[in-house]
Amino acid sequence: MEDTLITRLKNMDISWRDMGTVAGLIIMVIVFSSLSDVFLTQRNLVNILQQSSINCCIAIGMTLVIISGGIDLSVGPTAALAAVLSGTLLMAGYPVPVVISTALAVGLCCGLLNGVLIAFAGLQPFIVTLGTLSLFRALALIFTGGNPVLGLPNEFRQLFASQILGLPVPVIVVAVLAITATVLLKMTPLGEYILAVGGNEEAARVSGVPIERTKVLTYMISGGLASLAAIILMARLGAAEPTLGNLWELEAIAASAIGGASLMGGKGSIFGTILGAIVLGAMRNGLTLLNVQAFYQLLATGIIIILAMLVDRLARGRG
Amino acid sequence: MPNDAQSKEYAITLTNISKGFPGVQALEDVSFTVAGGEVHALLGENGAGKSTLLKILSGIYHADSGEIKMNGKHVDLRNPKLAKQAGIALIHQELQQVPELDVAQNMFLGNPLTRFGLFKDHAKMRQKAKALLTQLDPSIDVRTKIKNLRVAQRQIVEIAKALLVEATVIAMDEPTSSLTPIEFEKLVRVIEQLKAKNVAIIYVSHKLDEVFRVASQATILRDGKKIGDVDLSTTSEDAVVNMMVGRSLDIPPHESHIQNEVVLSVDGLCRNRHVQAISFELRRGEVLGVAGLVGSGRTELARLITGVDRPTSGEIKLHGAMVSFSDARKAIAAGIALLPEDRKKEGIIPLRSVASNTALPSLPKLTRAGIIKNREVATRVSELARSVNLRPHLIERPIRLFSGGNQQKAILCRWLMAGSEILIFDEPTRGIDVGAKGEIYRLIDRLAGEGRSIIMISSELPEILRLCDNVIVMRASAMAGKLSRAELSEEAVMSLAITGKLVA
Repeated sequence: MEDTLITRLKNMDISWRDMGTVAGLIIMVIVFSSLSDVFLTQRNLVNILQQSSINCCIAIGMTLVIISGGIDLSVGPTAALAAVLSGTLLMAGYPVPVVISTALAVGLCCGLLNGVLIAFAGLQPFIVTLGTLSLFRALALIFTGGNPVLGLPNEFRQLFASQILGLPVPVIVVAVLAITATVLLKMTPLGEYILAVGGNEEAARVSGVPIERTKVLTYMISGGLASLAAIILMARLGAAEPTLGNLWELEAIAASAIGGASLMGGKGSIFGTILGAIVLGAMRNGLTLLNVQAFYQLLATGIIIILAMLVDRLARGRG
Repeated sequence: MPNDAQSKEYAITLTNISKGFPGVQALEDVSFTVAGGEVHALLGENGAGKSTLLKILSGIYHADSGEIKMNGKHVDLRNPKLAKQAGIALIHQELQQVPELDVAQNMFLGNPLTRFGLFKDHAKMRQKAKALLTQLDPSIDVRTKIKNLRVAQRQIVEIAKALLVEATVIAMDEPTSSLTPIEFEKLVRVIEQLKAKNVAIIYVSHKLDEVFRVASQATILRDGKKIGDVDLSTTSEDAVVNMMVGRSLDIPPHESHIQNEVVLSVDGLCRNRHVQAISFELRRGEVLGVAGLVGSGRTELARLITGVDRPTSGEIKLHGAMVSFSDARKAIAAGIALLPEDRKKEGIIPLRSVASNTALPSLPKLTRAGIIKNREVATRVSELARSVNLRPHLIERPIRLFSGGNQQKAILCRWLMAGSEILIFDEPTRGIDVGAKGEIYRLIDRLAGEGRSIIMISSELPEILRLCDNVIVMRASAMAGKLSRAELSEEAVMSLAITGKLVA
């Protein structure tokens, strides 16, 4: 019996690390639901998922980048650039599919630039994306002269405002993305290459892994997902601000880390990252319900990140 | 100077030392003694308990039971600081030094000499460091940064550091793993000086020939238990190996599988100063040895042939056709594969399973609609793992949990799966147990018998002599000579490797 259960769990590929994140989430839910009557209502839970959807979207790409041994600090500005460009097209009357494709193309191009600088020029991911963080933000600000693109048409906004099976479209989109990313990571050569490059780049090279292509594609995925997050936010706000996406990169890194991704590369789980993003979202939601000041929310975020890392270290033992 | 009463006491006495970890008894009732001025070897396969014992001596682990005495007095080695105070120094295999600091700074790291207890007294530290180093190796300047020293010199700095704190017991863990033969001679001289100072030395090494040169006594461990103490002056190397592995090694005699067809020919291959004008032919079924000292350009040559680096001039022909590989992928596609020397750095993806590690280069051939055919991967890896006798036969287990020998087998599976015709082994048995070495040798023999061609880079002459049909010897990045099976002898290889000439 036990044996079959364990094999089944293994086949489902839910690791003990992910179980730990689930346990953390459950504890948090118990605490908040005992303090607030509203927390455990269906409406609030859907709310949490919706609020977390943007971070989930960014964090999926971030997790892949982190597993490959890199980091992408430029996701926020990438999203902003995609937002202002596509927002302007939208106001100029271009059809929605064209606009969304443009936004995605912008994100992919931003990722391509990061990837090429990292993979072919051999620059460090931290520095490259720190540079493009400024670069993309500046381009977004210059393009709009610092002004937001306001009054996006309802036709576009409705696209993400509707519900499917009682869940908001952004949540469905994120669920589909998470499943796709999991399949990519666990069942395709590219996923295996990402794990190999992050796990030991030299060995991967000797084994014939296409290192450069793997890295470029990983950053492109991250850029593409950043622009998708931008579209979701634009639909929600009805505006495209050149300053949107501030500190998104840190939220996404936090979700990945809580979910078990190692910043050393070679290790991480999409499922864990989604849980990590929900943990952060649920905590913010719960504290808001309890009327806790925003300053303390920041404090709690910090504590959760460090706590997750400590539990991680204790569970694995030293070294 | 020790008086008579002291010299009768052993410098260090270990009695019934035991240490267990969850699920494994690493040491069980191990006892031995080392006298001042004696070099005592600690021998055993990987996992026999040598490192655990060294860690207990240096205070990193605490023994579950047993007693340690120094000069007849009980000593408490509960933490590294107490061990240091007791006079025990451990020279780690991977030296623990700060590369950016100079020699003197490294020697006084952690307890610097100070003026008024506040300011570091650099002049005095340099002076003391210099006084010690001139005895050991006058060529080392105390103001050189550690990163600019050769490994052998760094080791001597580490020994000087031990003497600085007046260690009476110095334990050396695989001190020669990255030394050239000449550097080894230097180390031997330093050890002689330590003996003259009445220091007790515990010497851990895989290289038995060196152990026999350096040490007089040995304690042999197997599976955490002591098998016996031997006097090395009256024991043969074979007898020691038998005690270490618990069985005699049956290594098959050389059998040539060489065929006529030339699969690879290399002509005037160069890369900057690292590889100069190398030419050779490799036939189907041939095992071609590449001998030479560490740093003679052998690994660099392998990296050129396997497309990891690009040659600056010269030709590589594969089955008679010119090839030029822009990266390792092209070479792999053409059937040339590298089994690197440093498996940890260039061989394995540590966190991934044996199956993932094995399938890595073959993945594009193993997909349907972009998805990896998991079942087929598992079946094929499992078959290959069985054929090379991977132990344990758990292909879903992370590769880092396997022993060095089994990691090497898994990497071999990687290339068998990819269908590589030409396999380049760089130090195939580096860091591998005596017992597993025989297995690797038999595998190399079998691969040649199956019609694969093998280039084997090795510093271990016995394996070159045993396995190779032909040998090229490299010296200072260039080719010193070629030896056929008939001309092959230890003397011939060494004289080519060191002098570049064949001494009759």
